[in-house]
Amino acid sequence: MNFLRKKFMEYYSNPSIEFPARFDRREYAFILFGEGGMRRHISFLSRDDLLSYLRKNSPAHVYYSSAYYRHPDAGTMREKEWMGADLIFDLDADHIPNAIQMSYEEMLLEVKKELEKLLSFLMEDFGFEKRHIRLYFSGGRGYHCHVSHPDVIPLGSQERREIVDYVTARGLNFKGIVKEKSIPKEYFSDKTLEINPKRGGWSGRIARGIIEFLREVKKMEREKAIKKLMELDGIGEKTASSLYDFLTEERIRRIEDGKIDQSTEFKRIAIPLIKKLSVSMQSSTDEPVTGDIKRLIRLPGSLHGKTGLRVTNVDVDNLHEFNPLRDAVVFGENGIKVVVEKPLSIEMMENKFKIERGVREVPEYLAVFLVARGFATA
Amino acid sequence: MFFKWFPFNFVELSTMARYPFISAAKEWVKNEKATIEEILFDDIYERARGRGAERVMQAVIAGFIKDIPLLSEIDCVMEIFSYPVARMIVVASGSEYVIRRYALAEAKRAYENLKNESINFIEKMADEFGMRINGNRMYFVDYLRYAPTWDIKWKLVNRELKKGEVVLEKHEIARLLQEAIRKKIYNELTYMYPPPEIKKVFGDVIDEIKSRVSFREKENKIEEVDARLFPPCIKNLVSATKSGMNVPHVGRFTLVTFLNAVGMSVEEILKIFSSSPDFNAEKTRYQIEHITGKISGTNYTPPKCDTIRTWGLCFPDDICRRVKHPLSYYRLKRRRK
Ligand code: SF4
Repeated sequence: MNFLRKKFMEYYSNPSIEFPARFDRREYAFILFGEGGMRRHISFLSRDDLLSYLRKNSPAHVYYSSAYYRHPDAGTMREKEWMGADLIFDLDADHIPNAIQMSYEEMLLEVKKELEKLLSFLMEDFGFEKRHIRLYFSGGRGYHCHVSHPDVIPLGSQERREIVDYVTARGLNFKGIVKEKSIPKEYFSDKTLEINPKRGGWSGRIARGIIEFLREVKKMEREKAIKKLMELDGIGEKTASSLYDFLTEERIRRIEDGKIDQSTEFKRIAIPLIKKLSVSMQSSTDEPVTGDIKRLIRLPGSLHGKTGLRVTNVDVDNLHEFNPLRDAVVFGENGIKVVVEKPLSIEMMENKFKIERGVREVPEYLAVFLVARGFATA
Repeated sequence: MFFKWFPFNFVELSTMARYPFISAAKEWVKNEKATIEEILFDDIYERARGRGAERVMQAVIAGFIKDIPLLSEIDCVMEIFSYPVARMIVVASGSEYVIRRYALAEAKRAYENLKNESINFIEKMADEFGMRINGNRMYFVDYLRYAPTWDIKWKLVNRELKKGEVVLEKHEIARLLQEAIRKKIYNELTYMYPPPEIKKVFGDVIDEIKSRVSFREKENKIEEVDARLFPPCIKNLVSATKSGMNVPHVGRFTLVTFLNAVGMSVEEILKIFSSSPDFNAEKTRYQIEHITGKISGTNYTPPKCDTIRTWGLCFPDDICRRVKHPLSYYRLKRRRK
């Protein structure tokens, strides 16, 4: 029997599954080892039925529907009768720029940063409490964030889209958010951008972003600061350097009070700066998926067929400490011989491995990971 | 009675006259114990019947119901009774168009009054519709339910959202209430049956309304629109919409404003949207009517190419190089034809 399947079978003989709420209203779907397609439209009346299905088939991938239905096993959406759905954000390395050049660990760290941003949106702006938010390591290249507040369950796809647009800043109207004000001077009038870091929503976020950015720039040495400024869209060296000189303590203080004088070069960079800042705050939440009210999501506690790692609950307060290559590992330490085809360095279970091509004996957990990811064969 | 929560505890007649759709007004009418026969035939209700017919006529013709002076108690009573009368007439017309138009006109009238009420009053009204507000802030879930978010200024991302609450101006809350009121009236009317006697009293009015409506519907006919002349961005949106893909708001907005600008009727635009999987005729129609200025009073123009480009919806071809606006593309190609 296929090595992975055998290992998965061992796990599924006594798995720690976290059953979704409204368990019997969900659709379940599976991809089995050696099968191309997905087995869909399956429902279970009891938890034991699901467990025995897992035991019998030890699937490579296990999903359930974020939605719950009157008839979860019906073949079409219409017959299923949609009753509601959890709000789910899928944060995946696919949406991180330069993910290809990163190692698996780096990639996951980047996604975690996005997740932290998302959490701040959900809690500060949307006012969700920790008890309504559950985080899961996906077992693959990212994290899932489930919001199961009773008020969001009936939301339709348009409303969900608005939430996603909010966290990704899509459709953000800068001019409407950052107000420009004319101040009459002796012979002409000048314009000031008004920002208020204490406000809620994007306007406050942008304001805090600008202030933080400028403070950071101010603290840097001239050369570094100019480089940092030039990272902004449309800012050349000249503008950057005169802007740096413009940032006196006094000016910074005025900006912190919410007034950005536009009389100088600042005027030319204000908008790209704001834009750049908001983009860097964007959460690359997988939007078509979150807006979708009938998507499939990995079952917590199941194994990911492409890594052998477990879909694992992450405590919101412990997100920072969570280490997928330690906390989502379910297999043991027994030595297993594998044929390594691609060399790899990785830290797993807090052990550093540097694995060369050829026949190697490695701990079982690493063997599963290598085989699942296609780095080795058993 | 003590245990039942009435949002309006001591509702004055004049309040019910201005907002006859609130539950307190319904309750009040019930307590008056007037039968449908009495309302339809008794001389006492003559004025209510006249005003009821007027409500519907104004709604159908002008899209708006004018306030009348409410100086005495009897003025108020007649005004309150005119509301159920108007509803019977609307339902008896058997026209979906009349129902929609009437519901909207009543809601707009309510809005005009509401925006001048105290915030305290607005809070009570919001409560009536299950909207959770707290001073000038509204729970974002309720906001999303009623806000016309295809309009950029109503998009949640452009709002001050703090701890789950959206900060709003008073008139904005009134505007969201308008939508809640419209929905409620519309839903009630779609499930209502007219009493058989209604035709005896209002036969003429109903005929008149019907003839107005058919005239209106004819008015919507327009010159041929040639879809082959559409710019690539619009063609793309049309086919995405038709094939049922989930088109983002801004895409819908672009599409509707464009189609409207080249002269398509609401009906025709609606047809394009009807194959979308979550197609909701009533909601879509409402969006279209909002964007085309039938409801909002603002006739939105389609966005410029620059804007469309930032939304990632631009797929330029050769002709695009010569234009800055999708409408210019259409006109240019049309002239060439
Ligand atoms: S250039 Fe303008 S008209 Fe052409 S596809 Fe892009 S947005 Fe449309």
